[in-house]
Amino acid sequence: MMDAKTRDEVRQGLAAAIGDHKVLWKEPDIIPYTKDTFRIRYEDEYKFLPDLVVLPETTSDVQKIVAVAATRKIPLIAKGGGSSRTGMLVPTKGGIVVDTIKMNKVIEVSVAELYVTVQPGITLKELEKYLEDYGLALNQEQGSFKVATVGGAISTSGFSRKHQKYGTIADRVMSLEVVLADGRVMRTGAKVLYTSTGYRLGQLFIAAEGTLGIITEATLRVEPLPEAKAAILAFYDDFWTANDAAQKVMGTCVTYTGGEAYGVNDASEYGASPGKKGVFYLGFEGTKGEVEAEVAFVTDIVKRTGGTIADPQHTARFMAKYTIQWCGARVATGYEGPLTTYVPMKRMRDFYDKLYGEILPKYGTGPLPGEEYSLDVGRYRIVAGRYFVPKGDRAWERYQGMLREIAELATGLGGSISTCHGVGIEHRDNIELEYDEVALDTMRAIKMALDPDNIMNPGKKIPDKK
Amino acid sequence: MYAEILEEAISPKGRNLMIRAIMLGLIEPDERAVRIAYSCLLCRRDEKSCTAELKNAEATEAFRKYLLGRGLPLLHEHELLVKSLENYGNPWQEAKASRKRWAKDLKARKAVKGKTDTLFYVGCTFALDRTLQESPRALAHLMERAGENFGLLLEDELCCGSTVKRIGHSRLFERLRQENEKRLLETGAKRIVTACAGCYKTLKQDYPGLGEKVQLLHSTEYLLSLVKDGKLKFKGAPIKVTYHDPCHLGRHAEVFEEPREILAAVPGLQLIEMKDSREMSRCCGGGAGVKTAYPEVSRKAALRRVKDAERTGADTLVTACPFCVQTLREAAADYGSKIEILELAVLLDRLAEPGGAGLR
Repeated sequence: MMDAKTRDEVRQGLAAAIGDHKVLWKEPDIIPYTKDTFRIRYEDEYKFLPDLVVLPETTSDVQKIVAVAATRKIPLIAKGGGSSRTGMLVPTKGGIVVDTIKMNKVIEVSVAELYVTVQPGITLKELEKYLEDYGLALNQEQGSFKVATVGGAISTSGFSRKHQKYGTIADRVMSLEVVLADGRVMRTGAKVLYTSTGYRLGQLFIAAEGTLGIITEATLRVEPLPEAKAAILAFYDDFWTANDAAQKVMGTCVTYTGGEAYGVNDASEYGASPGKKGVFYLGFEGTKGEVEAEVAFVTDIVKRTGGTIADPQHTARFMAKYTIQWCGARVATGYEGPLTTYVPMKRMRDFYDKLYGEILPKYGTGPLPGEEYSLDVGRYRIVAGRYFVPKGDRAWERYQGMLREIAELATGLGGSISTCHGVGIEHRDNIELEYDEVALDTMRAIKMALDPDNIMNPGKKIPDKK
Repeated sequence: MYAEILEEAISPKGRNLMIRAIMLGLIEPDERAVRIAYSCLLCRRDEKSCTAELKNAEATEAFRKYLLGRGLPLLHEHELLVKSLENYGNPWQEAKASRKRWAKDLKARKAVKGKTDTLFYVGCTFALDRTLQESPRALAHLMERAGENFGLLLEDELCCGSTVKRIGHSRLFERLRQENEKRLLETGAKRIVTACAGCYKTLKQDYPGLGEKVQLLHSTEYLLSLVKDGKLKFKGAPIKVTYHDPCHLGRHAEVFEEPREILAAVPGLQLIEMKDSREMSRCCGGGAGVKTAYPEVSRKAALRRVKDAERTGADTLVTACPFCVQTLREAAADYGSKIEILELAVLLDRLAEPGGAGLR
């Protein structure tokens, strides 16, 4: 944190550089930037405040902000929609939050080349809506679709429910413009999805959580809108029988947009007969003929695996509800945390058995009823669940111990700790379990090369060297 | 509001974080906190997409009350409004007698105890804004046409207190509520009809027990019953109409279908819905003191809504709230939009067939 005099000087410097109205400094204005949706230590609530918040509108604004910060080595935390689950936006070392939310313009749409160039602060929902008029879609439908921005989704390597057919945002980045820690603007390459020339610099900023630079423009591959869409919703006795169907589908060549198998308390609100606790859903998009054939193909698998298919009205209702679900539901219970781990398919049962049979009870907590099991079906596999965060005596320490053991379990089975929420501060000290020392040192070297003074979102993502 | 200002403190999440910090005693509320408190339209649109079902409007209204209770000053933009209510019983600095001006031809309609079935409670904005007085006149005409036994309070009508309630001035609201409730009940009417969405919400939700003593109806509910009873009929009109749900009538009081059913009773009228309608209708920008405190942002919100309406291809935007009519008309004029903005009763009065029950 800065002393009052420095803060005042920096504020004036920023105001002179980008305009007074783009600089926030009054307490009620900066308090809302104290955290994202990660549950930080209770005693630390409101402890971490940015010194200042800036609201740039152009790349040039960002450059000027970085110039001011670089001279004094002030931390810069780039923010998009603010829906991060891992604390990557918490200003643990004070500094300046660079809220990119006003950089929300579409710069260019190319129907012929199938790309869109945008500023980073446009939300995924706004962009999808914008592209519709051109008959195009980005097809990035993550839980926080309504609030997540393009810059935030890239910086977190966000999930998309349509990953199987269209990939995630990581697969759509063609070119980025980034303001580096020394204030220079870098274009990562031509607006092309595949090239075999330079290092894939654009990929460096995917999941970088703002630790390497600030994205100021992104060119993304888009696709023509499909001719037809469909969905299948099927009910099973429990998660594991639904999972059998999911595994069978994944073992075939059928195309679908994405899907999920999960356990529920009661599926009767979607027309299932009583006692069905497993749900399996898949979405389809493409030409009419393709979609019909795919639906028929999967219907057959569902029948052969003992599932029953929901009627179209219930399926539509399920889809409407399903697509508005997002991780922000945490606030509904207040003490909920999500898992976005990956473990190999053959080890899923071992993972869940140990998680719910040993680890959570050891820390005095358990899963949210009806949210124990879920698997995203396809190439992108999240073995997910939701749990109650420990409460009471030494709650934070128990929470950290629990996260550590879950990370040990997932990585021990050959998996990943966090497939789509990033690292932030939540997993920072645990990623050493997932990467060897050489990999971590390489990451540190990259960070050092691009940000030698460690001003870009310091204290996040990579653990300090011991 | 967040969509227009794009600062975290203006978002529900940001504002809630600030409110919580103040409640925990971590920061002292100051002028800026007061201004943030008044940045919410209390439109409840955010609540409809909140998975946690947070009651943000209720929290913000309570926070405003808390700030005033702690002795923080009102926004200076709201002071005039409060003074006017204290002195004249309306927020628009108009003499009490001005209230009956719209009803020059209806003086005989003064409510008489024991003789008036239906009290038409007009509300300050319809009664005093000259550009809106066509609305109460239209509704009164329709009631006459339908042969209804109705009365008016004219110069004795008092503000329902909605505006002060929304800005958190509970002391003044309580005073207005008690006096107003007394006057309303003194008429002995069986039902009270109001055309103002704000008055309707306030009488219905902020006057405890009033709804048990007397039937409270919004004009859209009341007019629909007249249509259903065959007391009102409309001539054919080949017009394209879109309907804007006022926040206080729609999301707050859950009256969504009645205005649409009435429009469906006009032969030939084509109702085209905006993309965001019913529960997800966008606020016109006129609500909760925001228009006074943030005129530019309010105008932007209104313009967004006018554009939503234009996109439907409708030639008329119909709504059922004086503030929506006022705010949307101003935006349409600024923008040079050709869409006509009408309060529902005004449209219906234009189309009403002579020979309804009242004239038989």
